[in-house]
This record gives sequence, C-alpha cells and structure tokens, in this order.
Amino acid sequence: MSDADLAGLQRDALAQIGAAADAAAIETLRHRYLGRKDGLLTAHLKSLGALSPTERPAAGLAINAAKDSIEAALTSRLAGLRAGTFDDLGSDRLDLSLPPRPIRLGRLHPISATMREVSRIFATMGFESVEGPEVEWDHYNFEALNIPKGHPARDKFNTLWISNPLGDLAERPMLLRTHTSPMQVRVMETRQPPVRVIVPGRCYRFEATDAYHESVFFQFEGLAIDEHLTMADLKGVLYAFARAAFGGERRIRFRPDYFPFTEPSAEIAIDCFICNGSGCRTCGGSGWLEMGGSGMVHPNVLRNAGYDPARYQGFAFGCGIERVHMLRSGTPDIRLYEQNDLRFLETT
Amino acid sequence: MPLIKVPVEWLREYVDIDVPVSELARLLHMSGTEVDKVERAGDAWDRIWVGRIAALERHPDADKLFLATVEYGAGRTRTVVTGATNLAVGAVVPYAETGAKVRDGHGDGIAVLTLEPRKMRGILSEGMVLSAKELGLGADHEGILLLDPALPVGASLGDVLGESILHIELQPNRPDCMGVLGIAREVAAVTGTTVREPAVDPLRYGGLGDALTVRIDDPAACPRFAAALLTGVRSGPSPQWMQRRLVAAGMRPIDVIVDITNYVMLELGQPLHGYDADRLAGRTLVARQAAPGERLRTLDGVDRVLPTGTLVIADDRHALGIAGILGGEDSQIRADTTTVALECASFEGRGIGRSAVTLGLGLQSAASRRFALTLSPELVPLALARAVRLLREHAGATVSGAIDVHPSPRPAATVRLPVGDIARVLGVDVAPEQAEEALRRLGFGVTVSDDAIVAVAPPLRTDIAIPEDLIEEIARITGYDRIPTRIPEGPLPIHERHPLLELRERVRDLLVGFGLTETVSYSLIDPAWLTQLTSDGAPIAPAPLRVQNPTSVAQSAPRPTLRPSLLDTARHNLRHEPGIAIFEIAPIYLPRLGDLPEERWTVAVLLAGKAETATWLGPERAYELSDAEAILDGTGRALRLPRPERSPGAPGFHPGRSEERKIGERHLGVWGQLDPRVAERWDLPAETFVIELDLAALLEHAGRGAATAPPRYPAALRDLAIVVEEARAYDEVRQAIVDSGKGLVTSVTLLDLYRGPQVGDGHKSFAVRLVFRSPDATLTDADVERSLKRITGKLLHQLGATIR
Repeated sequence: MSDADLAGLQRDALAQIGAAADAAAIETLRHRYLGRKDGLLTAHLKSLGALSPTERPAAGLAINAAKDSIEAALTSRLAGLRAGTFDDLGSDRLDLSLPPRPIRLGRLHPISATMREVSRIFATMGFESVEGPEVEWDHYNFEALNIPKGHPARDKFNTLWISNPLGDLAERPMLLRTHTSPMQVRVMETRQPPVRVIVPGRCYRFEATDAYHESVFFQFEGLAIDEHLTMADLKGVLYAFARAAFGGERRIRFRPDYFPFTEPSAEIAIDCFICNGSGCRTCGGSGWLEMGGSGMVHPNVLRNAGYDPARYQGFAFGCGIERVHMLRSGTPDIRLYEQNDLRFLETT
Repeated sequence: MPLIKVPVEWLREYVDIDVPVSELARLLHMSGTEVDKVERAGDAWDRIWVGRIAALERHPDADKLFLATVEYGAGRTRTVVTGATNLAVGAVVPYAETGAKVRDGHGDGIAVLTLEPRKMRGILSEGMVLSAKELGLGADHEGILLLDPALPVGASLGDVLGESILHIELQPNRPDCMGVLGIAREVAAVTGTTVREPAVDPLRYGGLGDALTVRIDDPAACPRFAAALLTGVRSGPSPQWMQRRLVAAGMRPIDVIVDITNYVMLELGQPLHGYDADRLAGRTLVARQAAPGERLRTLDGVDRVLPTGTLVIADDRHALGIAGILGGEDSQIRADTTTVALECASFEGRGIGRSAVTLGLGLQSAASRRFALTLSPELVPLALARAVRLLREHAGATVSGAIDVHPSPRPAATVRLPVGDIARVLGVDVAPEQAEEALRRLGFGVTVSDDAIVAVAPPLRTDIAIPEDLIEEIARITGYDRIPTRIPEGPLPIHERHPLLELRERVRDLLVGFGLTETVSYSLIDPAWLTQLTSDGAPIAPAPLRVQNPTSVAQSAPRPTLRPSLLDTARHNLRHEPGIAIFEIAPIYLPRLGDLPEERWTVAVLLAGKAETATWLGPERAYELSDAEAILDGTGRALRLPRPERSPGAPGFHPGRSEERKIGERHLGVWGQLDPRVAERWDLPAETFVIELDLAALLEHAGRGAATAPPRYPAALRDLAIVVEEARAYDEVRQAIVDSGKGLVTSVTLLDLYRGPQVGDGHKSFAVRLVFRSPDATLTDADVERSLKRITGKLLHQLGATIR
C-alpha cells in the first residue's frame, strides 16, 4: 500500500468526519477507519508486516500519524455535534404540570404501624418484643394472674370461651385471651430476671361495640422484673413512652386502680396533648387521657410463675394500640380499623 | 363493674363535706374511688319555678277541679287547673311553665311530657303545679309537692332543690363501699374528718323460742345468718325523704317495708329480705343446698328446677328463695302482712356468681351484685339493727327478738409491714408517722415499732391481706402523685431473636413496597363463610374452633384461613374502588387434639379489578395472573427462596390457573386465580387473584445470601427460538436449558411467546435470551457455541423441541 493511498484514506476520512451529522455517524466512521478487525486504517497497520525492516519504521510512523489525526477529528467533531445538541435546551420545554403516571402506593395498616412504633420506643429502653398465643388456657389468662374461678374480678374481663371441634377438656377451659397479661406468666416461666419485655397482640372481650370499644382489639403489655424496680421506675418508663409517642412535655398521672395481678395498681393517664391539659373534646374536658392500667406485679403472680417474691419484684402495664393511634390521628371510631375501607386506610 | 349512685345530700348525713362537689369528686377519684360522673338532679328542670298559690277557687263547671293562681316572681302569675286537694292559698309549690318538660304522673314515672296550654272544662290552664313524681323525685302522685315556705318565690327550682349525685364505679375488691356509708368513710379518710354512724336499735339476741329459728346447713356458702322477728308491721308508703333518696340512688319506692330494706342496702351495702313470718312452715329459716330436682316459683313468675350447687333459703318444707339472687313468690310480703321475719345473711360471693350464671339470670339485681363481691359478715348485725330501727320508726314494728348464727367468726386481718418496704415498692419514702396517719384515717388499728407497722384491718375491709395492700392504702391516701418518675437502672436483659417475627415484618415491608395495602380484619368470622370458598362448598381448611358465647354469629369462629376475610374486604372495597391490591398477615387457628390450637402465621394477598385506570398516558389495564405471580416471585427472590416445586390446581381456585407450591415436602402455599364460581358468590370479578403463604415455611427456606463481588468476566448473549408442543410448560424448557448449561447459563429471559402459522398447529415458540458467563475466564465464541449445542441437543432429545 502506498503513501498516496494512506494520504487519500486520511483525506476521505477527514472529509466524511466533517460531514457527519450525528453521534451515530461518528461511531460508524470510527468503526470504518479504526475498527479493530476490519478498519481501513487497521488494514494498513496489518500490511506493515509485509514491508522490509528498513521501510517499516517510517511507514509505521505515517500510519500512526494518520490514525491520530482521524481520532482527533472524530473526537472534535463529536464534541462539536454535542455542543450543538445542547444549544437548544432552553427552548425544549415540557408541561410539567401534566399529571404523572399513577403509582400504586402500598401502606401498612395503622395497627401494624403503631405496634411497630410502640415496640421501637420500648426497645430504646431495653424492652424486647415477644408474642404469645391468642387462644389461651384459663390458667394463664386468669388463674396464674391471681384471678381464680368465681373471683368477682372475672366480671371485668367479659370472656369469650372456646370449644375445640376435636374435643374439650373439662378441667382445662380454653378461651380467647382477654388481655395480653397471660404473657407475663409465660415469659417469667421461661426466663430469669432481669426481664424487660413488651407484648403486642390481639385480645378479645364479650362486649358491645361502639365508637370507643371493640370486642376484638389490640393491646401492648409491658413487664419488667428485677431486684429493685419500683413504681417510680414504672412511672418513668411510661413517662418516657408518652413523650416519645405523643411528643412535647407530657406529664403522667397515676390514679389508684384495681387489678388482681398487680398491687399496688395504677390507672395511667397522660395530660391531653391537644389542649395541654386545659380541657377539650378529646379529653372530655378533664385535661387527662386515660391510657391503660399498670402496677407492681402481685407477689402471688411472681410465685405462680416460679419467681421468689422476696428477691424479685417488678412492674407491668397494658395499653390499647388503637387508643394510641386514635389519639394521635384523630380517628373518630375504633371500628374503622377492622372495617378496612381503603378510603379510610389511605388517610391514616 | 358495679355502679352505684350516691346523692351528696345523703352522704352529708354521715360526714361533713366542706369542699365543693367537684372537688369532692376529684378527691375521691384520685384516691381510687372512681367517680364516673357527677349528675345534677334537677338539671333537667327547665322553666320550672318556685311558685306560691295566690288564689284558689273551685272550677265553675267541674266538682273535682280547682283553679289555682300561681305567682312565680317579678309579677308573673298564671292560672292552672288542677285536681289536687292538698293546696291552700300561700302554699309554696313547684310550678312548670308552658313548654317545660315534666315526667308523666300517670305513667311509669319515666316518660316525659312537654306542657302545652290546654283548656280544661272550658278554662285555659297554663302550665302545671307538680307532684314529686312529675319532678322525678319520688313515686308520690297523690298531691302536689309542698315545698319549704321559706324558699324564694320565682327562683328556678333546680337552683334551690337540685342535688348532686355521684356516679361511682366500684372495684370488685371493695364490697365495703357498696353503700353510701362506705363512700362516706372514704370521704372522711381523704378529707381528714370522721364519720357519724347511722342510728340503730341495738338488738338483743335470743329468746325467740319457737317463734323463729334460723339454721345454717352449709356454713362455707353461708357463713353468717341473722334474722329479726317483727310484729305489728304496717304497710303503706315510706316517708318522703326516704323515697327521694331511693329515687336519687336509682331505686323505685314500693312500700315502706321493701323501701326500708332497700334503703339499708343502699346505705350500708348489705341486702336484707323480709318474709311473711306467718307463712313460714315451722317458723324456720334454713340456708341449705337445693335438693336434687327441687322446684321453686321465683318472684319473676318463673317455675324453676334448681340445679345442684344452688344455695337456697328454705323453711321446714320447701325452698323460699335462691339465696342472694332471687326470692320466691310464696312467702313474699303482702299488703296484709303484719309479722315479718327479716333475714340478714352473708354469702360466699363465688357461689352466688356461679349460681347466677347457672340459672341464666346473671347478676341483675342490686342485691346479687353486692353478694357476689362477698360482703363482710360483720355487716350483718349492723344492717339488721339499722333496718329494725327504721321499721320501728316508720312502719310501726315491734321487735320480738333476733337470732344471729355465725359459727366461725374470722378475726380481722392483721398485716405486718416492714417500714422499708414502702420505699422499696413505691420508689419514694413515706415517713412512718405519715403512713400510720393514712392507715388510721382509713380505720385501721395501727401499732408502729422501730422497723414495722402492724395494722389491723377495719372489720368491713375484706381486701387486706399482704403488706402490698397496706402500701397501696398508704399511697392512695398520701397521693399517687407523690411517686416520682425514674428510668430503671440495672443490667439490661440480653434480647432473644425472633426470626419468624422478623420475617413477618420483612414480608410486610416487601408487600407494601410492591404497592399493596395492608388490611387487618376480624380474626373471628362467620363459620358459614367457610362453606363458600369452593364451588361445591367443600372446606379448604379444617373445622374451626368455636366461640361458645359469641357476640354474634358473624364473630363466632376463630378463622382457620385468611381467605374469606380477604374476599369480604375486597367485595366491600370494590363497590367504590376500580381495583384493589391488598394483603393481610395474621395467624390462622388450627385446632389440635388436647392442646391449644396451632396459630399459624400466614400471609394472604388479593388482587382484583383494575391494575391501572385509563389516563392520558395510557389505557386501563386489569390485574392479570402475572401480576400475582410477580408478587410471588418478587417475594421469593427477596427472601432468597430456592425454586419451589409446583403442582397444578388448589382447592377454591380455577383448576387450570392455580398451583400449590412446595419445597421438598414442605407446603409453602397456594396461589392463582380464584374459582370464578366462588368469585361470583362473593360479588368479585371473575379475574380475582389470591396468594396464600405459610410464613414459617418461608422462614424455613429463606436463604441467608452470601455476599459476593460482581463478576469479573464479560457475559455473552445468545437468542434462541424454541418450538415445542403446546402441552410443554415453559418451566420445562427453562429447566432443560439451565441443566444442560452446566453453570454457564446465568439467566434465561423469555422475550416472546408465539403461536401461529410459522410454527404450526399445536405448537408454540419461545424466544429466549440466554446469558452465558464463566466465573473463571472470558468465554470464547467456541465455548459459547459448545454450550449452546449441548442445550439445543437436550431440548431436542428431552422435549422434542426444534430450534428455529
């Protein structure tokens, strides 16, 4: 191949590059001249082998010079084309107010979301989330919690009793747990102190439903057992929870209450975060929102679970999950949660 | 819990109250006596005034009617026509203007009338002068209620005669508070005053001879039984003040004897029961167990066969009543009764509660509600003496004598409280003197030594047994608000991991990420739903547990499958949504023999209706099978599940468009298009897609995933068009490619599925793109061609495929 051929090739290449209209054309030309397998210039390089050793260096230099010049032209033309492309961006306008392609938003149910948040808040205080059976023995729901058969406090827990199609055991009545408290005993039976657990879960009562009461509902139970826990610790934990869940400078109010499985017992209330305690519709004018029940675990319950009440003591508390969500979201009726109308769920 | 109504006026009889009623309510509430609300009797009295009769004359055209001119302040006068005969000029009476609402004096005393001007025998009557009954203050409708002449004429009656009634919700451990006096003791303790005990006639016991005997056959069920024999008892109405209190506390006045027993019950908490002594066989009262098959006609007019375990009060011959629950008809007091045997007994509360349930009565009466809490036997002599006093004063009774049978009196509870325990439990110090003072105010006998407080419980407090009980008493009197807030110290427990719960939350997030909305539906369902899940009604799940006492049929079975809940949620929402994509994660309840049910955590997904609605960007699109499989596949990939085995068809699904999936022998779940016949039954679109997976099975097979660096060598792509018979599943083709690819084929993508003239009848063509890659080296063309040849060979031999 002659020098003239090479010069012609280079001229043609530069002319075509100069005329290239777009980036794709540049790529085609790059391939035509510089392609690794069958580029026209590559063919020249391959032909170097046929030359005598004295001719080879000069020819090689010439070919490489041609290659450099073609590559430079390709690069510069491409840059030129690009610059041109971007010149018009200012006038390339779309109506961004057009509605976008709809995206289907997934959503957690507010009960799941609230259970998670409650668990997360208590986890920061060292409470582990555990769960237990919803269908329970009378023993765990009542007997072990210091509520023997015929105890008048059983009236407090209007119970739904279960019968098993495979046969009932007369001596072991089965029921739907009326509270998450059975897990107090189940946890203590399998662990040694220190214990700090939170038990979210579904509970059941034989109860007429209205805007504030459901016969099927969710609770979370807390239990902490150690050697030196007091009611002040109980109040502190609930106080920390109230501030994390409801924000601001919440206050906690304890009021004497009665549960057979705690002594002393306390009703928990937080100051109303809507009116800051001055009284409004949410708190019924009292300035306080009742949140649940609590107390120091009764020595009989510790004993029933195999703990020595002389050595260990602790506290337990229980609150409604829906209650937490209703207060925070302003949900007007507890029955909305399990009706699952998507128009409601979308707003939670 | 038991609710009692306590008129503040009545409370004042026993204790001085020098704080406003709202503060009284707060003090009680904050010390553990839950005040539900404070009712203002008289608040409903609108346009009712204190009036004075200015003139009174006979109706010109009616013998039994009068024209009364009533002044009610500021020169206002009206004339009313009345039949009342107890009026006189100058009498001060309640006057209701036109438009006021009053109780119907001729009815049950509950219905309310709005007054309108009315002509009576030709004369216009504007408003009314009122009886006690018309004001809701008593049963008396004989005459107009005559008011204290000193009341200011023209004042609103509510202002001068209204009263506050505390509605108190009692805890079951405080039977001592079941009466006004019990509440008065609480008031005294929280305000630091003392209680005035009501007047009683001290009874002399014994000396009745054969006139009345009392016997306890079952001292465990009836620890104490006292009775008094009263003669010369006159029936008739009870005094006005008593009627007024009964009405305020929520009871209807009947006659003096019944009213007095009710009054004493409301006052002290102890129910009593009067018998016509002349009708008692053998002049005997016995507390005994019902004999087998024993019958009794109870006061509600029902003939009952008494179940075993029912405690009855009987005479020598037969049962007179069900102890503590319901009296019998035979021996009840009648208008002509003059000799009364008055029973005052204490019963073991659990037995009362059990019997009330067994008899199907529940704790309906004020008496049975009190007895069920196990009243202190110490109340018995007190209540009897109080009732005798009132019967003497107001019913002309003379006491013949009394009997008190109390075989084994229990000493008052004595509890020793180490002083240090108060702070150990409450987390705050209470000085021993303060603790002592709190207990004394509550009526405890207290002695304090260096290191302990020894307290003797008041006789009526049956709830005190352990040191913690005393600590609560001390805390509630010194104030729960003194307990500080503190964050617990000490070692934190080591948390256990809960892989199933973690997986459950991961799956929740995954599905939400896929655009699904989570639902939480009732875990109790209508068992009839379970017969509507297949075209022939065959069950898809084991027979469910049943609720023995459901609130309704709709919530009578713990669900053994999530499917019906999802279908129900879908059908309701599809009335207003073009399409839905929902899931629920919950346990299903599977009965086990002799054990609690298995609570199997399950995830269920439903897609139906429009996946996309029409917009300017594109047409609408309905959900299709592949949307469901995408969710299934995405979940499997996210959890790194191995590729499952499939078997076609699942109960309740379209047989050709559903699968059961397994890994080894482990059932993972089912998915597919719902049987269109089932869909129709649930008002759902024929194309409704459901997935159900067992979370524990997912957990068992979920992969950990070992992190690896990205591949270092380039991939090679090859496209193949593979023609097979129609019956061949894509998965067979894919599997054959992967198997014969010897690890070099890293992915197979289906680009196109073609049926038509180019492949001939009964055939279809899969266009697939294969990615070849070796972890060890860059593959040469020859490597890829060799592999491809093996693959096509396998497709040919194993599946009879041809390559186009």
